Parts: sequence; C-alpha cells; structure tokens
Amino acid sequence: MTATAQKTLLVSTDLHKTYRTGGEILEILQGVDLKVKQGEWLAILGASGSGKSTLLHLLGGLDRPSKGNVQYNNQDIYKLSRKAINQYRNRDVGFVFQFYHLLPELTALENVTIAGMISGSTLSATDRKKRAEMLLDQLGMSHRLKHRPNKLSGGERQRVAIARALLNEPDLLLADEPTGNLDADTGQQILDLFIELHKQGQTIVMVTHDQKVADLADRQVLLERGVLKK
Amino acid sequence: MYIALLITKYLKRKLAPMFAALAVTLCTAMVIIVISVMGGFLNMMRQAAQTLTGQVTIFSGPTGFAGHQEIAKRLLAEPDIEATVPLLRSYGLINIKIHETTRTVEVVGIEPASFNTVTSYESSLYWTNQHFLDIWKKQYPASGEMSPTLKQRFDDIKKQYENLNLDEAGMTFKIPSIWEDEQIKEGCVLGIAVDQWNTRDTEGKYNVSNSAIGTPVIITVLPLTLGGSFQSLSPAKAQFTLVNEFKSGLYDIDANRIYVPMAQLQKMLDMDRKEVWENFDPATGEPVGKPTIRSDRVSELMVKGKEGVPLAQVKATVERVLQGYLNEHTDTASLWIQTWEERHSTLLGAVEREKGMLTILFAIISLVAVVMIAVIFYMIVQQKTKDIGTLRAIGASRKGIAGIFLGYGLAVGVIGSMLGLALAASIVLNLNEIQDLLYQWFGFKMWNPQIYYFDRIPSELDRMEVTIIVFCAILSSVIGAIVPAIRAAIQDPVESLRYE
Ligand SMILES: Nc1ncnc2c1ncn2[C@@H]1O[C@H](COP(=O)(O)OP(=O)(O)OP(=O)(O)O)[C@@H](O)[C@H]1O
Ligand SMILES: [Mg+2]
Repeated sequence: MTATAQKTLLVSTDLHKTYRTGGEILEILQGVDLKVKQGEWLAILGASGSGKSTLLHLLGGLDRPSKGNVQYNNQDIYKLSRKAINQYRNRDVGFVFQFYHLLPELTALENVTIAGMISGSTLSATDRKKRAEMLLDQLGMSHRLKHRPNKLSGGERQRVAIARALLNEPDLLLADEPTGNLDADTGQQILDLFIELHKQGQTIVMVTHDQKVADLADRQVLLERGVLKK
Repeated sequence: MYIALLITKYLKRKLAPMFAALAVTLCTAMVIIVISVMGGFLNMMRQAAQTLTGQVTIFSGPTGFAGHQEIAKRLLAEPDIEATVPLLRSYGLINIKIHETTRTVEVVGIEPASFNTVTSYESSLYWTNQHFLDIWKKQYPASGEMSPTLKQRFDDIKKQYENLNLDEAGMTFKIPSIWEDEQIKEGCVLGIAVDQWNTRDTEGKYNVSNSAIGTPVIITVLPLTLGGSFQSLSPAKAQFTLVNEFKSGLYDIDANRIYVPMAQLQKMLDMDRKEVWENFDPATGEPVGKPTIRSDRVSELMVKGKEGVPLAQVKATVERVLQGYLNEHTDTASLWIQTWEERHSTLLGAVEREKGMLTILFAIISLVAVVMIAVIFYMIVQQKTKDIGTLRAIGASRKGIAGIFLGYGLAVGVIGSMLGLALAASIVLNLNEIQDLLYQWFGFKMWNPQIYYFDRIPSELDRMEVTIIVFCAILSSVIGAIVPAIRAAIQDPVESLRYE
C-alpha cells in the first residue's frame, strides 16, 4: 500500500484530555500529535487505561479536548457548529465499538438503516434500504436482516455494526478494539473484513492492545503516558 | 424520522410505557367520570329550576301588583319575548283529608295552559292513566276463575281508568268524572313530596296506591291588605280535589309547593277584579253611588325569551319595558326582576362551587400524573443510556434525543388518554346499567334513589370538557417527559459508550 502520496485527512495537534474526579486531576492525554492520510490504516496500540478510547472519541467528534485541536480536511472540528459536528459524526466518520452498541429494539437491517435516517444523511429511503441490504449481504449477513441483536452472535453483531458505520460512505472508519470481545476465529473473520475494506481504499484508525492486530495496519503508534510513540 | 421509528419500537417492546399509559388512562377516566356525573347533576338541577321558573320573572311582595296584563302586552310586542304568564304565590296550610296530615305549603295560583308555555309544567306531572291500569292489572284475577259479573266490574273499572286522562286534569284542574263531588268544583296539583305518604321504592318510583290522588284536600290561605297586614277577613278556606302531582326534580320545591287555579286563589286572597263602593248609606249599610273597578292582582309575571335569545338580553328587554311602564304608572307596587339562575342561585351555586373544588382537585391529580410519568420516563432514560450514546455517535443531535423522549411522552399521553376516554365513555354512558349489575351481583347500590332526589344517576359527556381533559392529560404526559428528555439530551455520549 503506497499511502505516502495521499493527502492528509485527519490531524490532531497537541491534544490534551484531563479529567477531574474528587479533587484528583487525571491527565489522560498530554499532547497527542497525530496525522492520518487518506486511505491509510493506522493502528493505535496501548495498555489498558492508557487513553486509547478517549483519543478515538476525540478524533470522532464525540468528546471535547481540554486543549489542542483536531482537524479534518483542514477544518477544526471543535470549532464547528453543533449541527455541523453532528453531521461530521454522521457522514464523515463511522464508529465501530468493542461492544457493538446496536439498538436492541431494532432489527439488524433497521440498525443499519437508522444511520441514514438521522438528519445530515443524504440518502433517500429506498437508497438507504438498498445500500443497507447490499452491505449486510457483502458482510455475509443477508439471512439475518430481520433478526434483533439478541438473536445474533458476537461476530454477527459486529458485522451489523460495521455495516452501520459504512452506510453513509464515511471517509474515516474509527474502530475501538473491534475484535476485543470475540474469539480468535471470529475475530479473524472481522479482521479479514477490515483488510478487504482497506484494499478498497477505506481510511481506518483502529485502537487495539493486540500486537498481531496492529501488525495488519500500514502504520502503528503507541500511546504511553499520554503521548504517542512511534 | 428515526425519532418516529424509535418511538414506535420503544412503545412495542417495553412494559414501562404501558404502565405510564395505564396511569394516564386511569387519571383521565377518573376525571371524565367524576366531571360527567357532577355536570349531569348540575344540568339536571338547572333543568328542574328552569322547569319551574321560566327565564325571567317580574315579582312583587305577597300583596301583589295590578296591571300585569298591560305589562304582558308591552312585553309581547318586543321581538325578544316569546311568552309571558302571570302567577300568584302565597303561603298557607294544606290538609290532606285521607291521610289526616296538615302542613304548611307554598300555594301557587296558575292558569296551567299558559303556565305551560313558559315552564315545563305539563311534563312534570307525575301520574298517568297507566299507573292506575298497572294496579288494575295486578288485581285482575286469572281469567276463567271469574264470574261474568265480576268480570264486568273489572272491565268497567278499566274503562274508567282509561278515561281518567290525568294529564288533562292537571292541565285544566277539572275533576275527572269518577272523582266528582258535589261540593268540590276544582282540582289542585301537589308537589309529589308534599304528601309524606308518597314514598319511593328502591328503584326511585312512587306507588300510585299510596297517593291521595282523587281525594279532597282543604287549603287555607291568609288574605293580606295592600298595606301588607292581615285583613279583618278571616283566613280563607276551600276544598279542592287532588287531580295529579308533579315532580320537578328539586326536592325543596316538590316538598313545599302546590298549584291551584289562579282565579280561585285570587278570590280567596281577595285579589280578584271586582267592583268596590266608597260610600255607604249610614242607615241601611247599602252602597251608594257608582262603584269603582278594582283590578286584579298577581304576585309574579314570568317571561320566556325567544329561542336563541341570550338570558341577559331577555332580562335587559324586560327591564327596559318594565321601566317604561313604571314611568307611566307611578302608583304600581315595588317590582323586582330575577332570572331563573339568580332565583336558584343558592342551590345551583353550591353545586357549581363543588365543581370548582373538584377542578382544583383534578389539577393536583394531573400533577400526580406528571410526576408519575416523569419517574417512569426517568427510569426508561436510564435504561436507554447506552442507546442514547450510540445514537449520538452516529450523528443524532441533542434535540433529536430530546425529541425521542418528548415524542414518546406524547405517544404515551395520546394512547393513555384515548383509552381513558373510551373507558370513561363506556362507564358514563352505561352508569345506571353498571349500577344495576352491581346491585344484582353484590346487592350494592351506589346511588340510592331513596336518598338522592333523581332516580337515575345523572351523567353526561360534555364534548368541550372531555376535550379539555384529554388535552390536559396529553399535556401532562409531555410535561412529565420533559425532565427525563432533557437529561437524555445533555448526557455525555462518551460516558455511556465506554462500557458494556
Ligand atoms: N469521565 C472520566 N472521569 C475520570 N476518569 C476517566 C473518565 N473517563 C475515562 N477516565 C479514565 O481515563 C483513562 C483512559 O480511559 P480509556 O477508556 O481511554 O482507556 P483505554 O486505553 O481505552 O483502555 P481499555 O484498553 O481498557 O479500553 C482510564 O484510566 C479511565 O479510568
Ligand atoms: Mg478502550
């Protein structure tokens, strides 16, 4: 993969995140500088509690940094309007979580289409359904469209979550230990999907503490004591 | 759009909103039922009051006033006025001979036919021929066991009852032929509760065989001078035949009022039109010279406005016409004007105040409903923390999240209040049937017609009130959902996403 020629999609500069709990000040991120190029697969390694999820949430516009900024296509996302940042999460970014986070009341198909119903999405109702079915089909889930999450296995749930993240064709896929909750075989199947997506040019930032997973990526960084190490 | 999807999904899948909707249903139903019964009660009383009073009354003190014909003529020339009727109100004693009871009553002289144009007098008459025919049917022995003579007797009685025409007797004060009496010329009509022998059965109906109907009663009244003191005349006494009884629905009136022919009462009270002489021959005591005509007096003139003319307008017209008349006839006795509402204000006011009190109570109940919804929704929001985080992560706005829970509250309110309305309507519209069933099953009677004055539980669904109640219920649900919705909206999405 020759990602070097590609333009830079995401940049974080001097990113800080501090928590205050009961008088104690926890400095989780202490100046994270990060660049992600278009089409690149970046793995963020780090021990449990090192702040990997915190960093990913900041990159995805879900949280607010204590200091520093995140630029997406040269635009500081934390200076955007509320509406625009909601749109950023909806359209430009796709999240995949360790614990899938599907809505238990919705079927697999609805869990995917809902990402296209939220204002900001530009898909029409029929396109949305077609694309959701197509994605689920590609992920080998076509026989499970009408099932609710509690009827699905962990691997199947994660496939649905990936389909949801991809529905609005985001430029950036953020994955927080997507295999962390799966057995080795199922985990490998999910990783194969990421490899396939990466081949198709999908930019991926994946958080993991598993070196073997990180080895699949184009580039690895290590989060330690609040800063990144190459 | 996703908001609507989630609301319908949440409604289908969760028990908690069912409880919230049930709470709304019960509150709504309770309020509608109580208001309907209360309103029905009030309306029945108002109708009863109107039955008796006409819309607007011009009245004087007990000595009466002359010139009512002229006032009536002027009133009837007005486009607002439909009809007028004079009446004479006095107090006296009644002696129901057959029951050997004597009591004080309000004696009201009327001309029934014209009285009926202004009030609902005729429809308040209680006894019909059917009442007598029912007794006859009960006593009629099984056919075959009867001798021809006995059968003939029964058939004769039946014919007599069929020809009784009690309605006409009440409307004319004429005595039906079977009760004819040489000494008594005219009939009278009593309030059904004047005679204490009239008692109601468990269904609230009176039994005609207890009634003194068809028997003579003695009525005694005291004539007053124009100045208001008792005349040297002794109390006037007359016999009437009781030809029917009336039931207006207002106990106080049904227990204290009797109707007698107007002309007869005027004569008894020395208020009739007659010739009076001023000079008498000292030797013979014979009147000398020409007599003057003293016109008759009545104590009230009831006025009915045309259909659709508001009460206040009728009153204003009466005031204007009366003022014009008084300006020309300065010697007329003092006169007052009252609408039927003013007349019965003590009674109606009490019930209306009670309704007002209830409204306050219901405001508190709505508050309880709001709190209940708030608690249930707060729990729902807590259960849904993770979903809220997920929705935010895929781009939902805070407004959207709040919208889900407000819409959820709205849906619960609409469903709950509609069910409540259905429940209340099915209870209110079948209240008496439900009561009958309860009575059959458990021997339990909520509404004892021997205690309450109406024999049916009055109730009525007022479209306006029901709409307001349903609207309030829906509003309460939405208000109850506000705090949980805000909590859901401001919740930190990261917090809820971090852990399983
Ligand atoms: N709201 C908060 N208040 C205080 N401390 C917090 C808060 N959120 C996170 N932390 C702390 O920040 C640290 C980093 O958390 P984070 O979830 O980013 O770690 P992680 O690297 O993703 O760990 P893991 O591999 O276990 O997922 C942890 O020590 C956590 O306890
Ligand atoms: Mg983590």
